[in-house]
Amino acid sequence: MNDDGSPKGTTSVELLDADRESELAAVREALAGLRREIQLRFGAAEVAQADGERSVPANELFSELRRRLSTLGMSERSGEVDEFGMDEIVVRRARPVLELLYERYWRVDLAGAEHLPEKGPCLLVANRSGLLPYDGLMITHAVERLRSQSARPRFFVADWLMTLPFAQPYLARLGGVRACRENAERLLGAGHFVAVFPEGVKGAAKVFRDRYRLQRFGRGGVIRLALETGVPLVPIGIVGAEEAHPVLFKWTPPGRPLPFVPVTPTFPLLGPLGVLPLPTKWMIRIGAPVDLSELGPQAARDELLLSRLTEDLRAEIQALVDAGLHEREGVWS
Amino acid sequence: MGAGVTFGVSAPGVIAVTGLHTFIGSQLTRRLAGRAAGVRVIGLDQRRPIRFAEGARFAKVDLTRPTADGDLAEVLAAERVEAVVHTAFRTDPTPDLELDHELETIGTRHVMNACAAAKVKRLVIASSTELYGPRPDNPNFLTERHPLRGHPHAHAVRDRIEMEAMLADWSSRHPDVEVTVLRHCWIFGPSYWSRVTRYFALPVLAVPLGFDPLMQLVHEDDVVNAFERAVLQSCPGIYNVVGRGVLPVSTLLRLAGKQIWRLPGPVLHRLTYFPSQGQTGDPPDAFYDYLRYLWVADGQRGWEAFGEPVYSTREAWISFVSSRRMRRYR
Repeated sequence: MNDDGSPKGTTSVELLDADRESELAAVREALAGLRREIQLRFGAAEVAQADGERSVPANELFSELRRRLSTLGMSERSGEVDEFGMDEIVVRRARPVLELLYERYWRVDLAGAEHLPEKGPCLLVANRSGLLPYDGLMITHAVERLRSQSARPRFFVADWLMTLPFAQPYLARLGGVRACRENAERLLGAGHFVAVFPEGVKGAAKVFRDRYRLQRFGRGGVIRLALETGVPLVPIGIVGAEEAHPVLFKWTPPGRPLPFVPVTPTFPLLGPLGVLPLPTKWMIRIGAPVDLSELGPQAARDELLLSRLTEDLRAEIQALVDAGLHEREGVWS
Repeated sequence: MGAGVTFGVSAPGVIAVTGLHTFIGSQLTRRLAGRAAGVRVIGLDQRRPIRFAEGARFAKVDLTRPTADGDLAEVLAAERVEAVVHTAFRTDPTPDLELDHELETIGTRHVMNACAAAKVKRLVIASSTELYGPRPDNPNFLTERHPLRGHPHAHAVRDRIEMEAMLADWSSRHPDVEVTVLRHCWIFGPSYWSRVTRYFALPVLAVPLGFDPLMQLVHEDDVVNAFERAVLQSCPGIYNVVGRGVLPVSTLLRLAGKQIWRLPGPVLHRLTYFPSQGQTGDPPDAFYDYLRYLWVADGQRGWEAFGEPVYSTREAWISFVSSRRMRRYR
């Protein structure tokens, strides 16, 4: 580091200080430059977002193309995420799409909104269907509409979705969290709504014949969690999601890149187009919250009680689903 | 750093540091030697570093020799060492798998045996959160109790997991020695240099397509602070030493203005196979899986024991990036 800023003829201590000062000034300058650059980059992203598609001069077409290619698969997003990777800007951009799906595509009919607690922590327990977590996204969106945008629930996704390319970054930014005990405890501790699907992969792997028949609820993890943390459980029945992807049969390919390949009327046949869900009529039924806090955390050690409570919860959600099925006129309306 | 913090009567008088050629070892020796009277520092390594901390003594010990435990015990007993900081680990894995194993696993064994023989009171060992392993089924925050699953192809990680298992076994048989294990995540900062920082210093980076896990970094100063506290205070146990905050890899790279090539896994594997084998002795997924799956550690215990880190993940990264820029302009 040069010390040209310091006057001649100073003592060595002062020289040292001056040297240090100039060093610090250089650091500050570099940091300021970096901040300006960050501002420039993120500022530009904000403007592009506001303008939508802007016209690019022909001579900048190549660099623009290169910029787009280098950010392929990762559209604009903020420089900050929360500790589980949810990104405010991605959520903000996804909101109109989710709204469209909720209002127009699946025409979600919501009932039992009065049962939803005012604020978290709270476990929303629902039936699961389909390999892609549309049901989780719709529950999230429904709660967000009922409460506020800051109360956006996190939904749990199965492990294997985290190994699927492209799915993992997007799900994490939209509030998807890998389903496991440690994550649930941390999220509930922070006072979030958490949407869980205790059927797990068994639920996602249901074939069309078994639709709306709830599978075994894992190993009672949800009840154990509720007993240990004392948070209320809100049962939710979703009708319609199980027909959005009618799985005719399951095919287990050699090598197993996925747990199985669901064969639907459209899926392997039409390629990526077959991934699109069918526009069925959806119903979301929220049941009365179950409060297990009076049993106390020591009840979690009673295995028999645990399995009985789990079975009760499953029956409750099954009843909500059955009531929804009874109410609706048809699959499409 | 460390001003205003009082170290109790448990502060050891004589401290030995192994691995003077590693970043942590050299910085820690300098810090401890610069501390006021009452602390004597002995540096241990195969050869004397060119720049060695003033006020510290040097003793030659080669941990890869079969008789290293005896040699080391002699030095420790002669100097009446009360605490040993073991940082003689490879910053980067080398293609010489056997020598790496000899140094990391067997070398630590020698250190442990010598500590037991010389009646050392405290042993601080450097480890890494890489040992948890990048796995799609990791929880978002790995606590110290989480099993070490590592990576099947990363031989350095495998050696260290073996080392930690050995250490746990040894420490249960020697309850009179306080053992502190510090698992730090990827270190970034102006002067730290490893294969990881070398990779991130490239102007164009190849990353796995379709994955963007959250990353957690720690600044070099915070790591040295944690080691300093760990040796001067009494805090037996295992701690994650990490910065606050997490950021996706792509956001880090964008903050630095890097160009990113997202390549599908198999293509990336084939392109980087030979350079990776040549440099680290491992196939490329031993590194790229750390950019594919989550391995973020929960630092709460470490923050409580060693104080709040000065730099967050984002600041550690920016300090690294800005120092690289200044180096270019110099």
